[in-house]
Amino acid sequence: MKGLKIMSYCRITDASVIFYDREVVVYNPKDEDPWLLQIYKAKDIHYPKFHKMDNLCKAGFLGAEMVVNDDSQENKENWAVVTFNRSSSLDDDTSYQKTIENADNYFPAPSVFVYTLPNILSGEIAIRHKIMGESVHYITKEFSAERICEAFNDLASDGKIDTIVGGWAEYFQGHVDVLMLKVSVNEEDKQLLTINNILKLWKI
Amino acid sequence: MEDLVLELKKKIIEVLNLEEVKPEDINENAPLFGEGLGLDSIDALELIVLMEKDYGIKLANAAAGRDVFKSVKTMADYITANRTK
Repeated sequence: MKGLKIMSYCRITDASVIFYDREVVVYNPKDEDPWLLQIYKAKDIHYPKFHKMDNLCKAGFLGAEMVVNDDSQENKENWAVVTFNRSSSLDDDTSYQKTIENADNYFPAPSVFVYTLPNILSGEIAIRHKIMGESVHYITKEFSAERICEAFNDLASDGKIDTIVGGWAEYFQGHVDVLMLKVSVNEEDKQLLTINNILKLWKI
Repeated sequence: MEDLVLELKKKIIEVLNLEEVKPEDINENAPLFGEGLGLDSIDALELIVLMEKDYGIKLANAAAGRDVFKSVKTMADYITANRTK
């Protein structure tokens, strides 16, 4: 049956990274590296810009890195990025505020400021994977499989977009919660993108 | 001057989050932007902040900045001549 199918998914929590139903990286409390850097190193990723990103972008980037799994350098005209979260860029906003709250030590940090918008997350993913279609970020009160399903289906409904990378990417005060999906319109024998199937992956 | 060059290399790595770069990887005469370290416009703004915060140098003129930030060596020369901290 043709439809929007879940081609791959990745779940990142404070404890582990799950990819294709398997725990592929587990948080090591003895490792001095921050958790997101532990994942970056464990997956042997080489993308220097990662180190400049705020934690929200790092979290979403890592999820996308695993689900896209495409080293081609071609522009992906029919692909889109759609991300959701609850805390917007508040984690980075707080960091930025620290650089401007003291009048005697007032040095606004440009590199922190650039991440004080949540849609930078979808932009970073689009740049990394040369995704040329829609790039959008939604802020919602809580994780909603309904909204993800609806937004992905809406986007694919006009026939111009056939692959979407995205899902939930939340980072706030040291806690990470990501469900990144790659969905495509095709006839392969894969799970359909449904509210229930998204919920199953969220609860994994 | 050599001490300042090394200090600058370390600060640039720290401030610009160049995690995969070591001080010895940076040629003090190599261009900082474009080729060389491949820094971007946001990095340029961070270098301007660094100059003011750590050396008390305010760079108000963008054209002058182009010459100052040619390389680590030109930065070190400018700091030596103009620092107030």
